[in-house]
Amino acid sequence: MLMSRLERATEFVSKPVVRKLWTVSFIVFFLCFVIVPTLFVLTYAFTNWGLIQDEVIQDPEIMSQIWTAIGNSFEIAAIVTIIDILVGLPMAWILVRKKFRGKELLDTLIDMPLAVPTAALGFSAAIFWGITPADLTNPLGLKIVSSPFILIILLHIIFSYPYMVRSLAAILEQIDQTFETAGQTLGASKLTAVRTITLPLFRAGLVTGIILCFARSLSETGGTVAALATISNVDFNTAPTLIDSLKSTPALAFTSIVLIILALVLLVIVAIIVKKVHIPFRKVWPRPEKILSRGLSPKLKDATSVLFLVFIVLIPSFFVFTFVFTSEPSTTADWSEFGQSLINSFFIAGVVTVIDLAFGIPLALYIAKNRSKWLPETLDILVNVPLIVPTVALGFSLKLFWTGGTPVTGPFAIFLVMLAHIAFTYPLMVRNVTGAVEEIDPTYEETARTLGAKPVQGFRRVLFPMIKASILAGAIMAFTRSLGETGATRAISTTVLTAPNYIVNLIKLDNDYYTAALACIIVIVISFGLMLALRYLTRRRKGAI
Amino acid sequence: MPVVKLQGIVKQYGNIKASDGVDLEVRNGEYLCLLGPTGAGKTTILRIISGLTKPDHGSVLFDGKPMDKVEPEDRRAVMLSQTYALFPQLTVAENILFGPDIRQYEEEVKERTLADMLDLVRLTHRPDAFPSELSGGMMQRTALARALASGASVLLLDEPLRALDARLRISLRHEVRSLAKSMGITTIHVTHDQDEALVMADRIAVIREGKVVQVGLPGEVFDNPATPFVANFVGQSNFFVGEVEEKKESTSIRGDSGQVVLARPCEQRLGEKVVVGVKVGNTEVHKEGEGYFDGTVERILFEGRNIYLDVDVPGLGRYSSKIPSWRLGRLSVGDRVKINWSADKATVFTMPPEGLEKELRVE
Repeated sequence: MLMSRLERATEFVSKPVVRKLWTVSFIVFFLCFVIVPTLFVLTYAFTNWGLIQDEVIQDPEIMSQIWTAIGNSFEIAAIVTIIDILVGLPMAWILVRKKFRGKELLDTLIDMPLAVPTAALGFSAAIFWGITPADLTNPLGLKIVSSPFILIILLHIIFSYPYMVRSLAAILEQIDQTFETAGQTLGASKLTAVRTITLPLFRAGLVTGIILCFARSLSETGGTVAALATISNVDFNTAPTLIDSLKSTPALAFTSIVLIILALVLLVIVAIIVKKVHIPFRKVWPRPEKILSRGLSPKLKDATSVLFLVFIVLIPSFFVFTFVFTSEPSTTADWSEFGQSLINSFFIAGVVTVIDLAFGIPLALYIAKNRSKWLPETLDILVNVPLIVPTVALGFSLKLFWTGGTPVTGPFAIFLVMLAHIAFTYPLMVRNVTGAVEEIDPTYEETARTLGAKPVQGFRRVLFPMIKASILAGAIMAFTRSLGETGATRAISTTVLTAPNYIVNLIKLDNDYYTAALACIIVIVISFGLMLALRYLTRRRKGAI
Repeated sequence: MPVVKLQGIVKQYGNIKASDGVDLEVRNGEYLCLLGPTGAGKTTILRIISGLTKPDHGSVLFDGKPMDKVEPEDRRAVMLSQTYALFPQLTVAENILFGPDIRQYEEEVKERTLADMLDLVRLTHRPDAFPSELSGGMMQRTALARALASGASVLLLDEPLRALDARLRISLRHEVRSLAKSMGITTIHVTHDQDEALVMADRIAVIREGKVVQVGLPGEVFDNPATPFVANFVGQSNFFVGEVEEKKESTSIRGDSGQVVLARPCEQRLGEKVVVGVKVGNTEVHKEGEGYFDGTVERILFEGRNIYLDVDVPGLGRYSSKIPSWRLGRLSVGDRVKINWSADKATVFTMPPEGLEKELRVE
């Protein structure tokens, strides 16, 4: 029987041996290129303990620097996460339960901070809130914040807010509203029904939101460095900014190791606590809760949520646009360098996204379809590790893994930056696709098989069309995350030319605020435009299915 | 169209034995209904025949050939699930042609197959509709057309009529059966609805807790049940517990409170503890005349053509009877009535080891 080449390829790929080899190869990819480099720095504690002891632990000055910075990071992350929960929940509610004109706009605005590189956001927020130095002409800024601690909290809220709102909204969408309605027909006021029936069902979404916000704040480098440099503060450090300025390998290793271990431990504890401990308050206060459920109170709550979004998240983010109208242009701008940095950033993000797609989709399928076996379950947990590890520690660990700590330049540096970006964007792709595949009834593909389709044909004709939207979402997330990343990039080399790095260096090294502001605006416009275009595409695809 | 044979199929999920030594043979072109309560292991059997699930022990044979190394896509045993699983992004026509597309039939063959199928299931006017636009009945017919168009030789139906309205269910019973029969396909149809099985099947296999309890023609399974469970599950029955007293042209059974009832000749020995089962349709209820024992009418339910009577017999519990509704005027709640049945309508069973109550339980 004559077989076409496609048929022969399909036959070949469907052989059980080939399928097993394919599974092994992307698991190996995941372990060798994502997990091992991420955690490699932990081995430094064993191989170079002596060095660490001599240069770091015995030196009280460095130790106090490190512990203060780590303390600052965790405090900030905790405060930011709590605020995000309090303001994110009402906003998630509005997004999911309410219908009104302009909801699409609200939806898009909430995602905006995700698309924009944090270095740009950091500068914008700093000149909005902060008391800036004399050589920075900034007549419109509020100038009410002098404490770096508070400024960083305000900044971190901006880009962790979308993570919390999205996580909560995702769960809320799945919770059947009929539970609340049932509670209400049984006599409970709306507030009571929500508090005692719906909120406890939230726990899974809450855990996801907390982990994502906390980890994001802990990781954040670009915006923090930019903001601190803008208010000319040299004494305050978060762990990532400290790593950014340290030079000695043992100190860097020590700080990274402590960060990683503390982050992992803390987040595991949080996950356990939130899942096991019941959010209490079985007690009901009918009358006060009835009053709060009616009339002005709910409208006030909604208005406050929207105002918070506008004044704490959106205005500080876009404030940099006003800067160029109120300041004097600088003369030292090198726009060709900026252009090159943009090209580099997009190139890196593009390559990273393609690799994430090629290796992430198979892993996601493997995990989603083999839920009961130990290997896929373990991989599922491991996939979250690069998301939790602060990206600056991840970048340092990766550099240590591939080069042993020697400085890197040129194309090799860009290559390492790509590897680092792959490490923390890969989990985003895998999580998105795993989640989507799990939603889909396995009966579709099984029916296809009994109709004569080989597994690979079943995937191509049946499953793939159903998960196209999620694959696209994962790709967008990976792309924008790579575009905006500063910490990991700088950990590998502070001179590598990516757009966020360029902005940070403009502020930190050259004090060229005007050019930095222009660069920020251009980056914001491009990223936001890209995000809008891709959202439009996703929406149309979703409609077809 | 193959003979499908299951030999010694065992499948366990943790502590639960979904299949506990299943032996079954489905003849060439036969329409077999696998009837049993929910959780009996019916869907597991279908999945094992199709190859989607691998049994722990035992084998599946098509025309005598073992299928354990044959992948689902090569078995030509198509599965129609309860949810129809119509591919949402394909139209009716594209769904139906899914199998022929995969098998790469020629264009003309595909066109003809599509036209024939659309005609067969009366969907000629809707080939470009998407599944989300179809009603339940139309989705079912599309799924059936898709299965039949795939060139399969074994049709596996998993409660295909479950999601449909009562009226539609009844009319589709005939349609589904005649479609399968006209193509000569060996069909295994899983259901928990005994009326459906009685109407549609060439033979019925009653399955319970992973074991096949009885296989036979619908009439056989209804009139000559093998166990009290089958007697009660396929057409409800009344039961009387006692010991075999005499064995002549009919068997006499004496109960604990002294009543004696008659039943068919049986193989059980004298003095053995037995259970007598009588279908509710064969249980007679009269205000005058003879009977085995007396009771009071507790409840009368009007069901259209029949009425359903619950009679409380002191010491023996509730006896139900199904009688034609023209007798409705003659009986009321509270009447004292006599329960009777003719001996040849009653079956004798050995007392089940775990007791009668457990034997009859459906979950």
